[in-house]
Amino acid sequence: MVAAQKIIYYLYMLITALCAFFLVKHLFKRKEHKGIINDIVYALCIIPFILRILHIK
Amino acid sequence: MYLDTTIILIAMVVAFVLSSIFLKSAEISMIIAASVGILFGVAHGWTSSFSRVFVEGLFTNLDIALLFVTASFFVNFYSESGAITTLTRKLVSKSNNKWVLLSAMAIFMLIPGAITGAGSISVFVLGSMVAMIARAMGLSEKKTAAFVFTFAILSAAAPPVNLWAMMIASGSDMPYVGFTTPLLVPILIVGALSIIYFGWGSKPKDTAEILKNLPDASKDIAWWRIILPPAVLLGVFLVSYYLPFNIPVIGLPLTFVIACIVAIICNPNKLSPKECWNIMDKTMEQIFPLIATVLSVGVLQNAMSATGVKGLIGITFITLPLVWIYISILFIAPLLQGSLNYGSAVVFGAPLIFLFNTMGYNLTIIASAMSLIFPIGDCLPPSRITGRLSCEVVGYEGSYGSFLKAVLVPCLILAAVALVMMVFPDKFAFLVL
Repeated sequence: MVAAQKIIYYLYMLITALCAFFLVKHLFKRKEHKGIINDIVYALCIIPFILRILHIK
Repeated sequence: MYLDTTIILIAMVVAFVLSSIFLKSAEISMIIAASVGILFGVAHGWTSSFSRVFVEGLFTNLDIALLFVTASFFVNFYSESGAITTLTRKLVSKSNNKWVLLSAMAIFMLIPGAITGAGSISVFVLGSMVAMIARAMGLSEKKTAAFVFTFAILSAAAPPVNLWAMMIASGSDMPYVGFTTPLLVPILIVGALSIIYFGWGSKPKDTAEILKNLPDASKDIAWWRIILPPAVLLGVFLVSYYLPFNIPVIGLPLTFVIACIVAIICNPNKLSPKECWNIMDKTMEQIFPLIATVLSVGVLQNAMSATGVKGLIGITFITLPLVWIYISILFIAPLLQGSLNYGSAVVFGAPLIFLFNTMGYNLTIIASAMSLIFPIGDCLPPSRITGRLSCEVVGYEGSYGSFLKAVLVPCLILAAVALVMMVFPDKFAFLVL
């Protein structure tokens, strides 16, 4: 059970990393929601994903 | 202290309104309003660090954001197989009775939200299929969006998982027991009345015409390919709910990922890794506004907690005379839900339970009734998550105000039923089994 829980924990890290990757990619290159305001919103949204992957929070 | 907190609340509201007018973005407006609140808090010495409150706020709803991402992955991969189109075509060709089909769609919509506790999941999983059928039954675009929204909020309030009732119960040291019937009966009554309201006067299109307008179904898609992905999803939900000590904690996001993998395997047109990557890329861009909304609502919630604004709203409300509590709860609870989401139940749901406890009322009925009022606020700004999602999934392009008018009647019915339960809780005590 403990090992399974550990695997699930790393799978969640993987999902978070995937989301972070796409958000960073879309910060620089995207088709919809363009403009400086959305750039700022994208930058803010990336913060928790990055911090979670880095185990800072 | 009271005055200072009131000033902070006013400053946050002004900041939100001004930024909404000039920047035309609900997300950045919420962030600015929250930042103003935190800065006031730092200036008063109530909180030591701006960045700590801000970043912690970004984490408040991170798990919900992950849930939205994975649920959207599942829906888009499942749709890619043509399963939803095939299922819709089969349903329409079997029956063209609008009451039967609308009732079937309503019941389908109730299931995902009832299991997960989030109405948005019902919209994600079934919204597009329900919208197709509702349109075919002669409902206008506006009514279709309203139909999807109404059953999404009812699904969120439906047992076994009603997060508002759970939070009220945990905040007031009540066991979450005996809620099934007091929640289910009013939801079925409101659901039936809503179906009559939406379906009244609509003329279903001819079956041949509906089938002509629906996208072509995949010819070689077998039944097991259609059923298996949602069955796996439902199976994992049920196992997690009923056997929590026999399996590891999977969590909803991972449940959706498992179902998503099953959907990819069941797709008759085998997807290449590049195609899978493109679908994920498109999905992330598609749901970005929703991720931004839930994360910025989290910052707003945290700012309100750190500055005492959340407590101010709660304490002001419960110190009102009882009659005013009954009158104002219909407005305050949905409005707070719009800004605090599930936090609204904690802010004044729990204090109200203590208040009603002193009067000797049946608290299970009171908590059930309150938990039926909160979901109405899912269509209200600033967050309006389920409302906006319903409009997006249905493809409703009219003004958001006209959508709100369309959902008014079902929401009033829901509020009226909940209010009657709150005013006469002991008359409904027989529902607590």
